[in-house]
Amino acid sequence: MIRHSVMVGWADGPLKRYVDDARLQFTVLMHRSGQVLAQHGFQSRMDVQTACALSAAINATADSLGTMIDGAPFRGLHYAGAARQMHLAQLHVGDGVLLLLSVFDRESSLGIVQLYLDELHAALAASAPADEDAPPALAEDFERDLNTNLAALFGKR
Amino acid sequence: MSQFAPLIAAVTRHRGVQACLVVADEDGILVDGTAHVGVSTSAFAALTASLYRKAARAAESAGFGAVTYFELEAERGRVMAAGRNGLVIVAVAEPRVNVGLLRVELVRAAEGL
Repeated sequence: MIRHSVMVGWADGPLKRYVDDARLQFTVLMHRSGQVLAQHGFQSRMDVQTACALSAAINATADSLGTMIDGAPFRGLHYAGAARQMHLAQLHVGDGVLLLLSVFDRESSLGIVQLYLDELHAALAASAPADEDAPPALAEDFERDLNTNLAALFGKR
Repeated sequence: MSQFAPLIAAVTRHRGVQACLVVADEDGILVDGTAHVGVSTSAFAALTASLYRKAARAAESAGFGAVTYFELEAERGRVMAAGRNGLVIVAVAEPRVNVGLLRVELVRAAEGL
């Protein structure tokens, strides 16, 4: 069982502020399972779904690889491309762990992203719904929850 | 001790300097530095590098070439920075600091980056 709630909406405000402050191009907040919670900048549900699936896979790989090589999971990932950079962070919110993928260009920097990530973390911790107020994310409901959340974010396209 | 320690020591020796940081200008990550208690170095490094980058782009757009030095004057202090080779050396100082001397020191320190 994934303990954290799968409700969308509660993270929209903090994420919008984070995007504005850190000058991001794209960002998506998700469960470790790849279940989307909030996003900014992506134009289609398929892009969000793909970004979430790949981010969850990267996180799982880094966890396992870190444990194998260094005795502890690797945390955080930064990749600098020619024009864009990506940062994948783990955020401990309530009793769950969320993943945040941030994509930025020369308008921002890794230092700026890390700076505002701390503020986002605090804002998410303050606005996260209590477990009793929200349905838990269950593995057997993954696809249904994913479609519900994507429909909430993009409408039924 | 990093290779930048002598440069940082030369800047912080000036009366009124509260912090001196060497920062990577592209990613805003702190490379080395020293600061009085109360200066949030990583936040400061990220924001100053961002300012420096934007100043450099503004100078480039205006056809002025590369930025060698910039200064920000605020109500209760000054931020002075000089850069080279993708690094910026930044000093945070009280208003009473000798601006001329510190500027010379920073520009000289930047030559060692």
